[in-house]
Amino acid sequence: MALGINYDSAGNSKSFMGFVKFNAKAGRITRRDRDNGENTDVDITRSFKAVMDVENIEHGWMDFDTGGAPSMILVHNNEVLPAKPSDKHRKGFRIVLKLSKENGGDIRELSSHAASFSRGLDKLHDDYLAGAKNNAGKVPVVVLNEPIPIVTGDGVKKQTNYAPSFEIVGWVKRPDDLQYQPRTASASAPASLDDEEEIPVKRAPPSTGSTRAAAPVARQVADDEDFG
Amino acid sequence: MDNPFETHGLEHLSPSSCNLFIGSPAMFVLEKLLKRRSPVGCAAHRGTSVEDGVVAGLSGSTDQEAVDVAKKKFASLTVMSGDPRKEKEEGAIADFVKMGLSELRSYGQPTSFQGKIEYKVDGLLVPLIGFYDMEWADHGILIDLKTSHALPSKISTNHARQVALYCAARSGNLDARLCYVTPKKVAVYKLENIRQHVEALGTIALTIQRFLSISKDPHELASLVVPDVDSFYFSDPLARQAAFETWKL
Repeated sequence: MALGINYDSAGNSKSFMGFVKFNAKAGRITRRDRDNGENTDVDITRSFKAVMDVENIEHGWMDFDTGGAPSMILVHNNEVLPAKPSDKHRKGFRIVLKLSKENGGDIRELSSHAASFSRGLDKLHDDYLAGAKNNAGKVPVVVLNEPIPIVTGDGVKKQTNYAPSFEIVGWVKRPDDLQYQPRTASASAPASLDDEEEIPVKRAPPSTGSTRAAAPVARQVADDEDFG
Repeated sequence: MDNPFETHGLEHLSPSSCNLFIGSPAMFVLEKLLKRRSPVGCAAHRGTSVEDGVVAGLSGSTDQEAVDVAKKKFASLTVMSGDPRKEKEEGAIADFVKMGLSELRSYGQPTSFQGKIEYKVDGLLVPLIGFYDMEWADHGILIDLKTSHALPSKISTNHARQVALYCAARSGNLDARLCYVTPKKVAVYKLENIRQHVEALGTIALTIQRFLSISKDPHELASLVVPDVDSFYFSDPLARQAAFETWKL
């Protein structure tokens, strides 16, 4: 449990970078692209490969149910956890990554307060700490294996969520555009979303979906040169 | 407790039967309980035919071969049809198939087509069954193909429930999508809130069960509903006649 959760301090962060989203209910990861004002979620579950800035994972408090931009209060993982800003905020993590060229090649953030996501991220962090000793100054190249189903509850409350199964497949020199920069405002990626693990209170009919989906891309072989 | 489905000769429910109950309880009674089947319209046959053509195309056939498969299927399904829309639908088959393939060829060859699913709902005395259109297990994607002459801007609720059920029955880890095809446009939408849509379908199925439990006599159940004879459910003259004979309306 390298990403301990017993912290108690405050901080703020702000981000307008693009994002990838891990859907804990489906165990899938998508890249949100925006073109001509239209959002498209590209499923990159099977092809996911990225340099992930595990060293600089941020932790803190997140509220995605704001009706607008999510509210996040985050600090670097070596700082103490900020004070919880409201009852609606839940503990979560954010990590910045650089996708492989085949997945878009750009810098994105991945954030979630789903417990199953945190579980997968914590395992990645453990693996990072173990491997970093022999890879000083480098950052890990990470792929996503089959997600791990986590069943909770009984009866009508029984549900299955998925923990991401990240695997470090290599280490590369830190890309020039993947530098940690603490963000100081209180909001994050405007369109970022998260998936609750608890059965949500029904306040409105569920949406059906109007986001266009692109064809899948094939998984590529690990290659240090992908990240420039 | 007696099984009311057994009483009324129903072995299962499906997304389409649930949607029928929602859209027209009277037609549900007419078809499922009084066993008076209405003719299938050419629009429904178009969907079946286009799907066959697209499947052929994704299985290695050229666009033209796929169109031929679809046209042949449509001809066989509508050979006895008196539907005035037959000619229009027939003329659009080729464009539907080509448009669908233009989008779905990039997914590669599906790993399975027309797979049967079965899903059990707590408290429901029959299973929900259905058949999904196509799945790419290597990508974890399941797609249902829908044809229409107008491209919708989002997934309809009925379609969402239908595909959510397939997804729930297959694997909670599937990326479910709806591919809407018109003769000129195509759009693939990602299905959201799968769990809630499956729950909704379960609620609807249990409502049907309660309705069937009211009486073992289908005519008594018919007396509890009234047909909207202006709806498309009764647009076919035979369906309209059946409604008149049953309800005197």
